[in-house]
Amino acid sequence: MKILLVEDDHMLANEIAAALRAENFVVDVAANGEDGQHLGDTEFYDAAVLDLGLPVIPGAAVLRAWRKNGKQLPVLILTARDAWTDKVDGFKSGADDYLTKPFRVEELIMRLRALVRRSAGFAETRIVCGPLAFAAQTGVFELDGLPLKLTALEWRVLECLILRNGTVVDRTELTEKVYEGDAGTDSNSLEVIVARLRRKIGRDMIQTVRGRGYSLTEGGA
Amino acid sequence: MLRNASLGRRLVLGAAVFITLALIVAAMVIGFILHRFVQGQIDQRLDSQIVFLASQLRVEDGRLSLLGGADGPPFDRPGRGWYWQITGPSNTLRSQALSGNDLVLPDVPARPPRRPPPPRDDFRAGPPAENAPRPADGPGPDRKPVHFRIAHFTVSGLPVTIAASAPRAAVAAPLRGAMLTLGVSLAVLGVALVLAMLLQVRLGLRPLERLRQTIADVRAGRIERLPENQPREIQPLVSELNALLAQNAANLERARAHVANLAHGLKTPLATLAIAVSDRKRDLTNEARLAELQALVALMERRIRHHLGRARSAALSGPVRAQTMVGVRLADLGEALGKIHAGKAIALTIDVAPALAVACEQQDFDEMAGNLMENAFKWACGTVRVSAAADGNKKLILTIEDDGAGLRPDQIAQALRAGARLDESEPGFGFGLPIARELAELYGGELTLKPSSIGGLCAALHLPLAVG
Repeated sequence: MKILLVEDDHMLANEIAAALRAENFVVDVAANGEDGQHLGDTEFYDAAVLDLGLPVIPGAAVLRAWRKNGKQLPVLILTARDAWTDKVDGFKSGADDYLTKPFRVEELIMRLRALVRRSAGFAETRIVCGPLAFAAQTGVFELDGLPLKLTALEWRVLECLILRNGTVVDRTELTEKVYEGDAGTDSNSLEVIVARLRRKIGRDMIQTVRGRGYSLTEGGA
Repeated sequence: MLRNASLGRRLVLGAAVFITLALIVAAMVIGFILHRFVQGQIDQRLDSQIVFLASQLRVEDGRLSLLGGADGPPFDRPGRGWYWQITGPSNTLRSQALSGNDLVLPDVPARPPRRPPPPRDDFRAGPPAENAPRPADGPGPDRKPVHFRIAHFTVSGLPVTIAASAPRAAVAAPLRGAMLTLGVSLAVLGVALVLAMLLQVRLGLRPLERLRQTIADVRAGRIERLPENQPREIQPLVSELNALLAQNAANLERARAHVANLAHGLKTPLATLAIAVSDRKRDLTNEARLAELQALVALMERRIRHHLGRARSAALSGPVRAQTMVGVRLADLGEALGKIHAGKAIALTIDVAPALAVACEQQDFDEMAGNLMENAFKWACGTVRVSAAADGNKKLILTIEDDGAGLRPDQIAQALRAGARLDESEPGFGFGLPIARELAELYGGELTLKPSSIGGLCAALHLPLAVG
């Protein structure tokens, strides 16, 4: 799951990014509104965490610009402004959730997971696909009722596929969401990860759509 | 355009327009009166000539003749416009000045017989007799415009018309002269009046300039408040300004006190924090240290929230003129809370008349209603009901109910106390209710808590309705 974090306080941004990465999130950090808006406009993200008091372009303006450009990605506002009027204004600008500082990073992670899950169209926290089950709030995969051990990269690919609910995930998008920035993107490595996943959960469950990408099916077909 | 112009220019401009209009009207009225006066003089002269001619008129064998010479000046000089002419059925008598030409009379019908006039004491003031001369205008024999007086008589049974004329120039020339002089005098008068106005405005506005200087002195810190011995018109302004200065000073004092309280409130947990992160507690497990740190962070957050809330409520003083539309704000808050608690599937119903407004600052209303609704959302199992109605006593009653666990009577009293936390595991609870209560009381309202008919807590907020 790939997150855009727009936060101008370096210390806080680093802490949040580290905590999110520890939970298998892929995180891009922007330190001002302009960079944040540009990244949000040009890259694939599953959700954005947006500070309101940003340099160059204020957070609310970034959010309005995204919404005006038709960007539907779920946005969580993270701010010290905890008055209800500010919250109402934030939601009116197009936010999907609002968390005030100080906050517990566990809560941020929980809310981000819920946001992404809901925006993928799942109302329940447990997502089931054939023998595979995904507890979206804790990020744990189960196969036939037993916990599934996955590497970080495998987890990211599988999470991305299961949240798509059977539709095809484009190769480019999958690559972007699995690897952070441009770090060591080997065109072969995605195939390698998929192959390892197939060994773990069954060959039939991940289908290759030639020239496009992959999709997760219930298997056995 | 005038909105930003100076007061002085505004006053002078207004006066100039008014003075000009008044002088123009005066010139028109005086001109009209003068015209009537000159015209009256000329008419009188022509009329006496007519009366004189009538008295000299004789009829012999059906022909008209005059007893004696009737050509006194100016009726003897040709081409001047001063003429007379007597027209009978068989012959016409003319003044020498006509040199034998006929006066072409405009058609003036005989005066129709009038009803008998009401009896009056002074017969001279009665209406004109039937044969009184009547005015007419037309060209003279040399085409120059002349003014006629024409009378119809019956002399020895013969219908006779006697006309006398004067040149129009005899009226226009003196009038033109008089109007020229009048115009110049009025223009001078106008300029003098505007100048006087200018001077008056300068002098009249001088206290304002002095006031500006004293305010500058206050701003520079040379004096603390404005002197109260001011002209009566700006005295209320000065009193208001002084009240504002006093209020600002008080607010500043309060703000300083709040910052000091806040700093003090944070220093204690900071000190504890410093000890907690030092090595002195190496014997504790990581989990215990973590729990201690988290408790300290929570405590510091609560202190900040508490002091910010108090600082905000303390800034409120004096009557509130703000108006907040209840329905709109509740709908917005409901939408925000729906997103915050999107995972809970809560059915929210809001029942409020669309035009209902409270006399509260919007931010404060948001804070009260937002905190109460947040509480309801947090504790509800599936239903939150919000309704607002006027109670007929200039108060709005906003009730917020949930179907959660509710509070016991002893818990209710505790919940309203600032700083109390009923459930340590639910962050944010414990301050919402006291903040809502404190704000409500500042607005002269109150917050009451009781069990709800749908199972959970029913919070009722009483707030003053906006008037008008």
